[in-house]
Amino acid sequence: MDPDAVAKAFVDHYYSTFDSNRAGLANLYQDGSMLTFEGQKILGSQNIVAKLVGLPFQQCQHNITTVDCQPSGAGGVLVFVSGTLQLAGEQHALKFSQMFHLMPTAQGSFYVLNDIFRLNYT
Amino acid sequence: MEELIDLVGKAFVDHYYHLFDNDRPALSSLYQPSSMLTFEGQKIQSIEDITAKLNQLPFDQCLHVISTIDSQPSSFTGGIVVFVSGSLQLPGEEHHLWFSQMFHLIPLLEGHFFVQNDIFRLNYG
Repeated sequence: MDPDAVAKAFVDHYYSTFDSNRAGLANLYQDGSMLTFEGQKILGSQNIVAKLVGLPFQQCQHNITTVDCQPSGAGGVLVFVSGTLQLAGEQHALKFSQMFHLMPTAQGSFYVLNDIFRLNYT
Repeated sequence: MEELIDLVGKAFVDHYYHLFDNDRPALSSLYQPSSMLTFEGQKIQSIEDITAKLNQLPFDQCLHVISTIDSQPSSFTGGIVVFVSGSLQLPGEEHHLWFSQMFHLIPLLEGHFFVQNDIFRLNYG
């Protein structure tokens, strides 16, 4: 397992799904998955997807600036992302940082166990 | 009421940045041979190389001011992922630097944690 390859593939897939079909993120989370979104804690795939689908914008585009990854032990991969989030109709893009802890599934792919998202205000 | 995991995360963050800002060589006590640091994209392993990197950063004094701390239990038994954002103030510099950092903490037998994974990035405006 090459953590860099896993991280890159995951990041590409995650944000393209987010930007085109947010409900499709459901199969990246499981019942034990945790999301902390701007300090709000959400548990489980259903609740997480409900939160993301319910965000107050229809269209968005993530532009990724940096991706760092490391193996976390126990077969997991930690991914640390920074980038910008462009919302339709907004002049200025929002800056964000996000970390994922990916764990292997029985089928040989990865799901998100831990997800923490923060906007970067400067 | 704050959850236990948030208390542990906050206690670690307070301790880590206090050491960083007051006794940088002492950070070596927080890493183990398996620890990994990625500092602005540069990958570093081993306690010696990690502490050498941190001790050789091009400033003698600094002050971390923490804005946000988010913690979650990781898959590792008793493990915690901690996500931090804040600013780094260097003496003589008018503008401070904004940064984000994540730690994956793993418990040692005595109930103390060490940093298994550490990733640091400056947030450029």
